[in-house]
Amino acid sequence: MVEQILVSVSRFLPEVTLTVTFCVAILGGLIFHKHPKTVGYLAFIGILVSIFCAVQQLGVSESVFSGMISVDPFAVFFKILIGSVALIIIAFSFFSAEVLTTVRRMGEYFSLLVAMTLGMFLMAGASNLLMMVLALELTSLSSYILAGYTKEAADSSEASLKYILYGALSSGVMLYGVSILYGLTGATDFIGVNKALALGTTSHVSLLVATIFIIVGFGYKISAVPFHFWTPDVYEGAPITITAFLSVASKAAGFAMMIRFFKVTFIDTHMVGLPSGMWASVSGFEWNKLLAILSVLTMTLGNLVAVWQNNLKRLLAYSSIAHAGYMLMGVVILSDKGLAAVLIYFIVYLFMNLGAFLVVMMVANKTGSEDIDTYKGLGYRSPLVGVAMVIFFISLTGLPPTAGFIGKLYLFSALLDAKWIWLAVVGAINSVVSLYYYVRVLRNMFLRDPEGNAGPLVFPTPQLTLLVVLMIPTILFGLYFTPIVNFANASLLMFGIQ
Amino acid sequence: MLRNYLPIIMMMAVAALFGVVMGKINEFIGPKRPSEEKQSTYESGMEPIRTARERFSVKFYMVAMLFIVFDIEVVFLYPWAVSYKHLGVAGFATMFVFIAILLIGYFYVWKKGALEWD
Amino acid sequence: MISNFIVSLVTFFPLLGIVLLLFVDKEKAQIIKLVGFITSLATFVLSLHLYFHFDSQVAGFQFVQQFVWIGGLNISYHVGIDGLSLLMILLTTFLTPIALLGTWNSIERRIREYTMMILLLETGMLGVFASLDLFLFYVFWEAMLIPMYFIIGLWGGQDRVYAAVKFFLYTLFGSLLMLVAIIALGYFASTMRGGAFTTNLVELYSVASRLPLTLQLWMFLAFALSFAIKVPLFPFHTWLPDAHVQAPTAGSVILAGVLLKMGTYGFIRFCVPLFPDATIVIAPYISVLAVVGIVYGALVSIVQTDIKKLVAYSSVSHLGFVVLGIFAMTEEGMQGAIIQMVNHGLSTGALFLLVGMIYDRVHTRKISDFGGVAKLMPVFASFLMIISLSSIGLPGLNGFVGEFLILLGAFNSTLLDNHAFAAFAALGVILSAVYLLWMYQRVMFGPVREGGLYNGHTLTDLTRREIVALIPIVLFVVWIGVYPETFLSKSAEVAKRTVQLIETTQRGAPIRYADSPDSSREPLH
Repeated sequence: MVEQILVSVSRFLPEVTLTVTFCVAILGGLIFHKHPKTVGYLAFIGILVSIFCAVQQLGVSESVFSGMISVDPFAVFFKILIGSVALIIIAFSFFSAEVLTTVRRMGEYFSLLVAMTLGMFLMAGASNLLMMVLALELTSLSSYILAGYTKEAADSSEASLKYILYGALSSGVMLYGVSILYGLTGATDFIGVNKALALGTTSHVSLLVATIFIIVGFGYKISAVPFHFWTPDVYEGAPITITAFLSVASKAAGFAMMIRFFKVTFIDTHMVGLPSGMWASVSGFEWNKLLAILSVLTMTLGNLVAVWQNNLKRLLAYSSIAHAGYMLMGVVILSDKGLAAVLIYFIVYLFMNLGAFLVVMMVANKTGSEDIDTYKGLGYRSPLVGVAMVIFFISLTGLPPTAGFIGKLYLFSALLDAKWIWLAVVGAINSVVSLYYYVRVLRNMFLRDPEGNAGPLVFPTPQLTLLVVLMIPTILFGLYFTPIVNFANASLLMFGIQ
Repeated sequence: MLRNYLPIIMMMAVAALFGVVMGKINEFIGPKRPSEEKQSTYESGMEPIRTARERFSVKFYMVAMLFIVFDIEVVFLYPWAVSYKHLGVAGFATMFVFIAILLIGYFYVWKKGALEWD
Repeated sequence: MISNFIVSLVTFFPLLGIVLLLFVDKEKAQIIKLVGFITSLATFVLSLHLYFHFDSQVAGFQFVQQFVWIGGLNISYHVGIDGLSLLMILLTTFLTPIALLGTWNSIERRIREYTMMILLLETGMLGVFASLDLFLFYVFWEAMLIPMYFIIGLWGGQDRVYAAVKFFLYTLFGSLLMLVAIIALGYFASTMRGGAFTTNLVELYSVASRLPLTLQLWMFLAFALSFAIKVPLFPFHTWLPDAHVQAPTAGSVILAGVLLKMGTYGFIRFCVPLFPDATIVIAPYISVLAVVGIVYGALVSIVQTDIKKLVAYSSVSHLGFVVLGIFAMTEEGMQGAIIQMVNHGLSTGALFLLVGMIYDRVHTRKISDFGGVAKLMPVFASFLMIISLSSIGLPGLNGFVGEFLILLGAFNSTLLDNHAFAAFAALGVILSAVYLLWMYQRVMFGPVREGGLYNGHTLTDLTRREIVALIPIVLFVVWIGVYPETFLSKSAEVAKRTVQLIETTQRGAPIRYADSPDSSREPLH
């Protein structure tokens, strides 16, 4: 028993590192209260080490803590992804005027960021219903506080409160679903649930109810319509660093948990004769149709509402809802190609979305506004930032030769491979709608003259450097993407599935 | 199967009966000298009927939360103590880490001034 | 030796100019313009290599270059040309320096960015014409949108922003459906040949035509929508007047001269040979739209008050001819369509240049603002006369050759099998004489305005630079009109191959569509 736990701990090093970093960050906040940035450096190093530990786990596929958590390429992929996002966000925080004004509480800020990262790491690996709920709660609780971090601003507090209320409701509903599922199958680990479902004796109605309830929890985390109501307000009210973190990492963790749950618990391992790379769901319940509807709703609503937004943060919030919709398309296919497409999309999405948020933050630092009118003539006030925003937005639209196109290409190609043609067409039409609002911003940046006598904007070199760092992969992966495709394909392996 | 729950139901019934009976006995045989103070509902010294919008000092919540956090700790300590011999050094180390983490929390609370009332 | 990579060299040569421009001080306008002009001229010179070493006898693609780009999906960097691409590439490399030269002083702000955008656009266009891989084609096709968006939106006229967004949205809508169709085609083709996904055009040619009719129809429509928007075919043309009128002159020249040809090029290169069965079914419908476009575009041109808008609508009419020529599916029609693509590029490009030149002088394009211009600008008047007549289709000039062949093709077409197509299209020729000559009369003749002032400006005749820009176009206008064989011989092989494919399909069709079991046509599911 003890030995088993010790072995498990040795497979649990990324999370252990994060836990230690969390404790160090709390103490660091107390010790270095005069130089709170030090805590940021500590957190940065801690997360870097945990990514390093995660990289060491590449190729491992096993389960630790009696099946609570899986350590497999799929989880490691998301740990590296989420860890990288966390690193970039810490770098963002050093530049953010919003965060830097709250010197006294900055220690908590960084330690909670680490706690949230830890929660997401656990979400990526959770292979037990209970672990799933616990990891979700850890992530959510940290993010509630961080969303309200700039508590002097009324909209930040409002964001936090709304986030808590929606979060509490949906995780409550999800927990109820989990308990029904446990009642139906008598198991809490995914593999056990799968075995029970494979017997085919489960009541379909109860299973449907349980799954819908659980989807509520997932939908809330990835902000899928109709569980998205919190997203715009929270994204707008929260400090922009947190908004960026939520929009990429939180979504990635949600997707990781959801994909694992659906794939491992619902896979029909006895099905034979399927084309390679495809799998079947246990009979009687087609959850993927449910997700397909969710996906269409999510991208359509996200895109249509984004068209009317004038606040850039809010616009990006709706755009991120739409992107969740695109990514859901990859989950509904029930094929390895679809999942690989989702993973590829996430890599690409990381760079382009964080890049767009960085530009918004840099401009907000200088002008104090996120309004679309602020961006008038930005392309001339600061050409580099303007060009960077063009690249990020073109990529978010999914046009070649940027990385966003590759993401969409693989998604569409997986859909068409599995004959989901109508869904691909809906996705394509949605991309056209999305172009409209992205181009609105570009239009303001380049085709309109600055308001008043606004002169050139000069940004500090470190910020511009980070911008270029995010910009290069956005273009590079549009032209040469074999490495990310290979990485994604190698990361499909989940523990418990041959 | 429900048979197994019979003792619990009986226990609940006895408890309810006991409460009702004792209350009634008090009502019948106790002396009654009513005054305004005595007639009002007992609320641990607080005024029973006030506006619902009243704000409590956040300090009450702080103390309550801290109490719960450090009180729950004992719940974990108890089973550990019982099977201490069985767990050996590994068990000792585990509990050491647990206490250490709690200690960090304690320091944090202390330094942030949550333990000071004023 | 150089033939191995000449296509890539031509395609990416303009990028060299962009790199050079990065190092030029943005205040030094003359140097920037010179770098842009010389780069595009050098590209033209390089493309002449293609012309001189192109073998008209060889069937299939020449100067092919191929290497693996994305191994997993069988996507390769695959370029090469046949007679059709050759003419289009030459047209592109020919028009770009002329557009830059002809509008030397029209652009006043951000000249460096402007020149870079034009060069980037040139690479995009050349890439589209040279790609032999659908994926590569799509990348170039989309990449072209961005410079064009900025060219219209930044350096355009009053409503440039509206026009730019409309142009972007319209074309993107079409092309995304095409992307879906490209991927679908790759998969269906892979099921057919039992192999892996591919976007290699040469492989798809042999495979796609065996797909069942329903699938072919859907994919044809997805491709065709994208191309029809680009052409633009009636009723998808509404973006065109906005974009053309608002774009700066060089933008209009390239837009009319080359970009519109991509639509018709796409029909000949992709739609028809990939989906021959679908082509046979759909050709009459598209031809109806083409004829409607011919007549509609011409009628709308007549009533325009803005010269540029008139030229823009005349494009709708002229491109209708090209589409009709393609879907007549006769050798003459196809040849006419291809040569007419070149003609339209030259004539309409020149018309836009001329409109731009007079606009630069007086800052108005309203026909009613002019009158008696011929007396003040005799050289300009002669050029406009020659080009208008070429556009109308006067025998001896280039327009006649194309229109004649197209009408002949439409008349003889067995696929359309109705003389009404040719009859109505011929109406378009007459109407084109009406709107162009009427416009010419109102602008050029009549009394000179009081004091020679037009919109408050005086008129001066063309400068030497402008004449130098126009002379090469006139040269080709006459050349094609007198001896079209130079160019027709280049495209003969493509036209013949495409038409024969349709003819064999048509003859073979009844047998292949009978219920008889045929292993190669098994359902896909």
